[in-house]
Amino acid sequence: MRSLSRIGAVTAKEFIHLLRDRRTLAVVLALPVLQMLLFAYAISFDVKNVATVVIDLDKTPASQAYVSSYESSDFFTVVGTGDDLAAVDGVFDHNQALIAVVVPSGFGRSLAAGEKGSVAVYLDGSEPTAARVGQAFSTALNQVYSQQVTIRWADAQGLDVTAAGQLEPRVRTWYNPEKRSSDYLIPGLMVVIIMVVAVQQTAVSLVREREQGTDEQLAISPMRRWEMMLGKVAPWTLLAFLELAVVTAVGMWFFDLPLRGSIGVLALGAALFVFCSLGLGLVISAVAPSLETANMLGLLLSILPAFILSGFAFPLSSIPGWLQVVSCLFPARFMVTITRGVFLKGAGLAELWPEIAALGAYAVVVIAVAIVLTRRRR
Amino acid sequence: MSGVDPVRPGPLLGTAPNPDAALSVRGLTKRFGSFTAVDGIDFDVPRGQIFGFLGPNGSGKTTTIRMLTGTSGANAGAALVLGEDVLSHPERVKKRFGYMSQKFALFEDLTVEENLRFYAGVYDLSAEEFAKQRAYVLAMADLRGRENELTANLSVGWRQRLALGTATIHQPELLFLDEPTGGVDPVARRHFWDLLYDLASRGVTLFVTTHYMDEASHCNQLAFIYRGGLIAEGRRTTFAAT
Repeated sequence: MRSLSRIGAVTAKEFIHLLRDRRTLAVVLALPVLQMLLFAYAISFDVKNVATVVIDLDKTPASQAYVSSYESSDFFTVVGTGDDLAAVDGVFDHNQALIAVVVPSGFGRSLAAGEKGSVAVYLDGSEPTAARVGQAFSTALNQVYSQQVTIRWADAQGLDVTAAGQLEPRVRTWYNPEKRSSDYLIPGLMVVIIMVVAVQQTAVSLVREREQGTDEQLAISPMRRWEMMLGKVAPWTLLAFLELAVVTAVGMWFFDLPLRGSIGVLALGAALFVFCSLGLGLVISAVAPSLETANMLGLLLSILPAFILSGFAFPLSSIPGWLQVVSCLFPARFMVTITRGVFLKGAGLAELWPEIAALGAYAVVVIAVAIVLTRRRR
Repeated sequence: MSGVDPVRPGPLLGTAPNPDAALSVRGLTKRFGSFTAVDGIDFDVPRGQIFGFLGPNGSGKTTTIRMLTGTSGANAGAALVLGEDVLSHPERVKKRFGYMSQKFALFEDLTVEENLRFYAGVYDLSAEEFAKQRAYVLAMADLRGRENELTANLSVGWRQRLALGTATIHQPELLFLDEPTGGVDPVARRHFWDLLYDLASRGVTLFVTTHYMDEASHCNQLAFIYRGGLIAEGRRTTFAAT
């Protein structure tokens, strides 16, 4: 009963802090929407309209037909043509194009003779994603084109190639058939947003109390450490859930994000994840000597792991082994698996229980560490 | 300890702590590594006294208060606060004493009313108790009519009185004041001491640390601490005579 009065007093006070600090509140509420717009539109991993330069040294009908296949493709936008190989350097240096296609002279003659024609495709490797995708599409385009050429040549020779067995791979992408990067990004992004807000705010809040002297005052009062922590995290838990709801709503309405799995599992995972993040924030506030340090540490320990060590931006399987171990020190990687599983794969508790369990264990450990560390400070 | 007499064995050395006193301390010691912050101090504070704990900065005043309020452990010695062993069971007595520091411990983005309400919640006051104490504090601190003002907008003197009000909202029997008048102008300081006299007259024991020697004249019992050791202790009249 007494605990309840004390926890309630802290929670009520924290809500007043929050409501009175309009700037923080605005940032906390506007940040998710802003970040989503930025990420979903600007930092899309979809590659379309890759700027391409075409250098046709052959200038025959055959070479022109080949070049026009780039012009009619969605993936390439032909931004210019050139007359010699040296033009490629200039175009790449001025960032005018990422891909240069060079058709050598003799291309048309080779095709007419039934020989293999060859073209050169140059890629600007300083933008690896676009270059890799550009390469893949360019290869595919060449294959399709050479097939057409082959069929046309065979036709001309009176041969029937359709009867000949051809092996054709059929690739299907599940869960996100159009490979839209917003589907892939938004479930990860909500993890980043919740983590940043929760870690940052709690990291700052205890340090502020220390600087005001209210921490000392409360240490002398009958209030227990855990009562204060619980009272402090309650409003932020609520706020984190609000953010989760906002991001989910925006994602579903504006970006057609599917929600295929169990909302219950998502909420359970989110609750545990919020506690993990708040615990991490409390650990920071226990070790940070000043408000500035708490701020910096909060940012560093929330944004970096949430971006890099969670599978949000890079697949976890592609980071070095020791970093994969480090990634387990932060709760984001488990939560990204949960949000992607629930939103995209329709997963439920049966598939996601290991991540839920990991988050639960993490929450208990990190909050215990926070309480021990704050006690040790005195 | 150059220029200062070595600590002489006092009359309390080796005696049992007195459970009837508001504070009874025997051989209280606190070490941080090889540094001894508080070195085996002994003193008794009878109930209803204004006890001045004097010493320069860094002499061990705050460390002593931390041990007496149960927020820091002791390496040796005994301490009874209102008859309870505060070193092993601080929670038994925490509701019965109050504490106010130079920092005032107020939430500046909260109003006067909200600060009072928060500390009332911390001490689990009933609605009736809170209504009574709120009226008393507002009258005492001269803050009637300013309940909804943000604490940040109050001048230092008012903030100090509000801090005294929040520190006594649960009507403690004993009040620790750690340099409560630091940074406050002389007029506000005198006004503040009037409020402390008022508390003492109602039977509250006051334990006041200060490094202002002139404030010693407000106390009826004094102890001087220097480099962690008590160098003198007694009634004020004793010191006034010498």
